[in-house]
Amino acid sequence: MAAESATAIQRSQVDLSDCVDWSGVECLNQSSSHSLVNALKQGYREDDGLFLESDADEQLLIYIPFNQVVKLHSIVIKGPEEEGPKTIKLYSNREHMGFSNVNDFPPSDSTVLSEENLKGKPVILKYVKFQNVRSLTIFIEDNQSAGDITKVQKIALFGTTVETTDMKGLKKVEDH
Amino acid sequence: MVLEATMICIDNSEWMRNGDYSPNRFQAQADAVNLICGAKTQLNPENTVGVMTMAGKGVRVLVTPTSDLGKILACMHGLEIGGEMNLAAAIQVAQLALKHRQNKKQQQRIIVFAGSPIKHEKKQLEMIGRKLKKNSVALDIVDYGEEDGKPEKLEALLGAVNNNDTSHIVHVPSGPNALSDVLISTPIFTGDGEGGSVFAAAAAAAAAGGVSGFDLGVDPNLDPELALALRVSMEEERARQEAAAKKAAEEAAKQEKGGEQTSSHDVTMTEGTSASASGIEDKKDDLMDDENALLQRALAMSMDDTTSSHHEQRDTEMSDAAAEDPDLALALQFSVQESGKDSSSQTEMTKLLADHSIVSSILASLPGVDPNDPSVKELLASMQNQAEKKEEPKEPKEEEKK
Repeated sequence: MAAESATAIQRSQVDLSDCVDWSGVECLNQSSSHSLVNALKQGYREDDGLFLESDADEQLLIYIPFNQVVKLHSIVIKGPEEEGPKTIKLYSNREHMGFSNVNDFPPSDSTVLSEENLKGKPVILKYVKFQNVRSLTIFIEDNQSAGDITKVQKIALFGTTVETTDMKGLKKVEDH
Repeated sequence: MVLEATMICIDNSEWMRNGDYSPNRFQAQADAVNLICGAKTQLNPENTVGVMTMAGKGVRVLVTPTSDLGKILACMHGLEIGGEMNLAAAIQVAQLALKHRQNKKQQQRIIVFAGSPIKHEKKQLEMIGRKLKKNSVALDIVDYGEEDGKPEKLEALLGAVNNNDTSHIVHVPSGPNALSDVLISTPIFTGDGEGGSVFAAAAAAAAAGGVSGFDLGVDPNLDPELALALRVSMEEERARQEAAAKKAAEEAAKQEKGGEQTSSHDVTMTEGTSASASGIEDKKDDLMDDENALLQRALAMSMDDTTSSHHEQRDTEMSDAAAEDPDLALALQFSVQESGKDSSSQTEMTKLLADHSIVSSILASLPGVDPNDPSVKELLASMQNQAEKKEEPKEPKEEEKK
């Protein structure tokens, strides 16, 4: 299984951090000293000492817009054993969600992270639901220890780009 | 220049009929709201402001966030006073109104005017605060009116909401100072200090004067008596500033303890200017047209460039007024001191702000400041040292007059 998922990533999937529109990235309920950049950006996220931390309570709402349309294949979320996220819900193409309306519509996918996931094993998503993603909202509902603070060390998105006008993109990956 | 959407929650409960803030609490609040709307729109033209009531028939949004000042001012007309304030529901409705703002890039802010007793428990308020923080909504609280347990509850609410000092609270005790004047110098008005002090100074002058670009030279055209009186009062104020500064040192101690209004020298200085403006207004009633006096005085103070020839005339007329009002003395002092320097209003305001003696005088005039507090005295002493050098030549004059 692990081998399979590893090859799935290698085959056609690209790390989508190049496609992220950084000016629109938002995170609700993050602590000001430990912000989303620590978990999302290359370089920052490799350092396990830099992490994203929640503030008032354990939930986090992360909004990631892309500068082109992408297909999302899998996601890697790394975090500490105790305070790492447990239940996460993903919503595609929902702009500016708030904590009050996360429950208003069903998520495109939801998953409960296991210890292995927190160590870096990618979570394969329902590919069919993420064929046409302009923006992704990640709702972290609770954490492993049910404590008040959730910590996330790394968030990596894997997928492919769709044939849209991407000025910066050089490769067009199509998979059938 | 933060892009912001603001919802202002007005208290129109029965307690607003009280006259402990002139002319009555509701009117003082309305003035403050108008000023805040103007300030927000001026800080950034894309800012939007909305208004809602917390009491009356119920929590009701009068204007959804808009950058149209006219709409906001119009909705304040014909508001009825009655009922009880419902703070929790009001904040929730405000949050909802902000959530549906048109420009999602705007930061969310709620300004609450809490002028009547709060029936909610501290725990409930803290929960509300945490919810606001979670949704990254900043909260400014203007605490005035009744005192019983309210400041603690509101401080708890602020503590729960505050994220990196984006939220503020101001406690305004009842007294001669107008609610809006007190607020002008606070971070609520100045928008967290960025570009704030200069704007606030302009706002203070504008609030008192309503026009810009006037100076004493225009006085004779409109009202020669007024011009004369202004000059005299300017001189008197200058003479009185010494005494005022000493009083201010004591009162400043109280003020430092008392509230948020001295968060920065700039802020205090600005407030002092506006407070002085209002002080001068009070004094000049019998001498000239109220409005004109206010306008001219405030403008003259901030833009003074012709006072040097007017000192002697002012001394006589203003002796009584200035003696009673340290603010007046300060204002005069300002204008006199600045007369010899650059006359651009900008520069003068900056210098005023830097003058610590003025700060102390302003602090002294603020209500609730305890002159005998040693910490205040120390603070003022340090400020005094800077001021003393400038004021030494004036001191002998002061002594004689006294």
